[in-house]
Amino acid sequence: MTTPLPLWLAPAVVASVLAPAVYLTWVLDRWVGARVAGRRTSLGQTLASPLAEAAQLMLQSSPRAERPDRVTWLLAPASLSGLAVVAVATVPLGPMLHIADAPGGIVLFGAAIALVMVAVFLHGWSANSLFPLMGGYRFIALALSFEMPLALVLIAAALPAESLRFSDIVQSQVDVWNVVRQPLGLPLYLIATLGASFWGPLAFPDAPDLAGGTTAESSGAALLVWTAARYALLVALCAVGAAVFLGGWLGPGLPGPIWLAFKTAGLVATVVVIGHHVARVRLEDFVVVAWTVLIPLALVDVFLSGLLVL
Amino acid sequence: MTEPLDALFWLSSTVAVFSAWRVFRADSMVRAAYWLMGSFVGVAGILVLVGAEFLGLVLILMMAGEMTIMAVFMVMFMMNPAGLNPMNMVHQHRTSLLAGVLSFVGLGAIALLASFPQAPPPDPAAATSDLGHELLGGSMLVFQTAGVALLSTMIGSIALAAQRGRYGSAAEGSEEPGAPIDEEDA
Amino acid sequence: MGLTAFARLAAKAPAPVFVARGANARSLAFELSGTGDVVLTQTPRHACVLLATGAFPDSMVPALRQIHDQMSHPRGVVLAGAHFRGHGPRGVFSDPVVVTPEGDVHDAVVVLHRDLILGRRPSAPPLLPDRDPTPWRGVGPYGQGGKGMTGGTPYGRPLAGLADDRDGLKLDALELRLGPFLPMFPPGLTLTIKLQGDVVQQARVGDNPFRTDERVSVGARSSVFVRALSGPVTIRELEHARAAHHLERVGEALRAAGLGALGERADRLAANIERVEAAAVRRLHRLLRRSRTLAWATSGVGRLEPDRVAGRGLGLVARACGLPEDLRTQDGAYNELGFSPLVEGGGDACARWRLRLAEVAQSLLLASAAGTRTTGGTGSVESPWGSISSDHAPVGSLLELLPGMLEGSDWGDVITTIVSLDLDLEEAART
Repeated sequence: MTTPLPLWLAPAVVASVLAPAVYLTWVLDRWVGARVAGRRTSLGQTLASPLAEAAQLMLQSSPRAERPDRVTWLLAPASLSGLAVVAVATVPLGPMLHIADAPGGIVLFGAAIALVMVAVFLHGWSANSLFPLMGGYRFIALALSFEMPLALVLIAAALPAESLRFSDIVQSQVDVWNVVRQPLGLPLYLIATLGASFWGPLAFPDAPDLAGGTTAESSGAALLVWTAARYALLVALCAVGAAVFLGGWLGPGLPGPIWLAFKTAGLVATVVVIGHHVARVRLEDFVVVAWTVLIPLALVDVFLSGLLVL
Repeated sequence: MTEPLDALFWLSSTVAVFSAWRVFRADSMVRAAYWLMGSFVGVAGILVLVGAEFLGLVLILMMAGEMTIMAVFMVMFMMNPAGLNPMNMVHQHRTSLLAGVLSFVGLGAIALLASFPQAPPPDPAAATSDLGHELLGGSMLVFQTAGVALLSTMIGSIALAAQRGRYGSAAEGSEEPGAPIDEEDA
Repeated sequence: MGLTAFARLAAKAPAPVFVARGANARSLAFELSGTGDVVLTQTPRHACVLLATGAFPDSMVPALRQIHDQMSHPRGVVLAGAHFRGHGPRGVFSDPVVVTPEGDVHDAVVVLHRDLILGRRPSAPPLLPDRDPTPWRGVGPYGQGGKGMTGGTPYGRPLAGLADDRDGLKLDALELRLGPFLPMFPPGLTLTIKLQGDVVQQARVGDNPFRTDERVSVGARSSVFVRALSGPVTIRELEHARAAHHLERVGEALRAAGLGALGERADRLAANIERVEAAAVRRLHRLLRRSRTLAWATSGVGRLEPDRVAGRGLGLVARACGLPEDLRTQDGAYNELGFSPLVEGGGDACARWRLRLAEVAQSLLLASAAGTRTTGGTGSVESPWGSISSDHAPVGSLLELLPGMLEGSDWGDVITTIVSLDLDLEEAART
């Protein structure tokens, strides 16, 4: 059993964990982008670029569109970042350190990811403009196809732990990590991560062919919050992936949170590199593959994990 | 310990009741659907507070998807591009008034007249497991199997209804390639 | 003081630029790619600088003004070789920065961005009045804008009408006019499409804005391919221009597929085409082949059957259908170099980007082997758009084929198709 943090300390811990993680992910994204483009940048320039971009967006005027649903338009980026915070808070940082290690942690995480769909749709819908709206609809069309495998592989990981609590799932990997025990789990989870954070090959709602999709009418601080929330969401999904499949805080020598940070960083780097190298697929093709290949594979994963437990 | 919990209860119930009222004041299908979701989130908060954590979280998980699907389908069938254009959302005033008053009185009567146990809230994990046994009892395996069967049926029917079938695109007609209709015989 | 430090930090960010291209636009790949302190945006909302280049016929000016007003503050305008008929270079915008033909566009953009962020220059005021097209509020029994449950014409937009869809349901179809500055469209292209969801039910190509007598006052495009119609040019120059042109199109396709960084790499290759080795292009080709999703996302999209393109002089589009149509095979100088046309089967967007990259490598090899050989002056030339002559522009036939290719495809495929076809409206207006 782990001991909970005092309630008043939790927001400070989440902020101090998430803010640097978002910054570093942003830096990594820009650095990989420059490398892939064959552009030479200095380290200082790369390290400063997210801060400079953020400052520029802060100085830009707020978005204006013809008769948007103003409240929803402002709330959508805010709720996306709130959901990322909730998702990160479910991850236990170490054997004695957790923020919101709920008994139904997996369900809490799943609920946050399900609400991401609402946030993205409303972000597109509320701008009252063609391309954002199409971006929002695309995400709904995509959502079930990645949420099903996501839920199934998480359930499979919960079986050996006989618990929905994330810390129990990490503890159940003391002997062998889930990535070895359930080889189908992590690849399926990574594909679902691409979908849930709408990244790289599954970056449908904010795609360039929709002139930026749900962000096509955004600017200024709202766009900054949305961008940062996307990075935060990616970090949250990768942190959960590290906890569920790579043994979370488990590891020799170093303190638990350091191990978790390393494993999360590894997954984040994988997703960022994929994002710059792998083209966006066709939505229709992905949905077909999801329902005929990914979901059946995820079911096989659940069955095999269940058999191993029996 | 009780005071923050009390505050959370009042917050959740205010969210639930206020959003429920806004459902009927909204002038767009999308707004109404998501106000309804907000109301469910408030109810889920209360469920978590009374120890039914699993139930509360699953309620949010399901309602996020269901309200979205409801909003999209309403927009699709109402010829209202995107549901952003305002429209009148309240109909059949007399019937709904009657239904509203009746259900309010009924639920209020239960709240006031039923005797609630004075037990401390159970451990959430135990509550989840109790809920499973209460709902399904010994037929757990049967229901799980049925669930997987239903999912496979869904995938199968999607495959059958898809535009691109086994014999090519549905738009071109699906004719089995091996047995063409002989026009000379016809 | 705090705000000044903050603004100084913000001024270090790459300048977000929205580019509006007219006819005979300045090629910006060379000037804007490479340093990373300029970033091209997909939408005017994200941009700080509007960069207008080329000649804009009167029909494009209203849209240009709208784009200007859609930009967020602080905003400014850079004109690089921009011409407006009937207006001076400063007639359309209130206070633009004008770059001379010898001037550096990159520096102008970066300096304007910094001045705007640091408040040394005021943000450009709106050009158009900000008001609703029609009054609607308070109209109708519930104040919802019209009669009936779903209202009339709020904001002056008619509600969608019923139409059959592909699943046999009667759902709404929305008619939209897109262009002429949509970043993924070629400059000047406008499409009127009927959308159901994101499936195109009907598409109509709008009038070519460059097909006016106004162009004469600006001067025809100084493309090397047009020059080769009337007089000899060196094969080296011609093939370099062809390679750069195809690389820029590949860059567009990559950006549309969400691979902005690889698109930038293609642009950089195009900008430095005279120093690029064929091996560098092959490396890019291998990388794209290996990731496989680009082929998966583009194969079968925008397919053209060989019998519909044969004999129209469609050049690369025909060669991507497996037809070895190439005027260069009839040129003695090319035969000396051992030229034989490359073909690719499939006739879809995937075949076209693959062939483009293969032809870039081929053109680079031809250019390096050509020495001082010349070609041209025969009245017809194999250009990147096909075999052109003074009275024939094959792009026109592609524009006729376009609506049929778009109908029934979803929006992503529409963009993939349009980007793969290289629909140069200015070239179409040449004849």
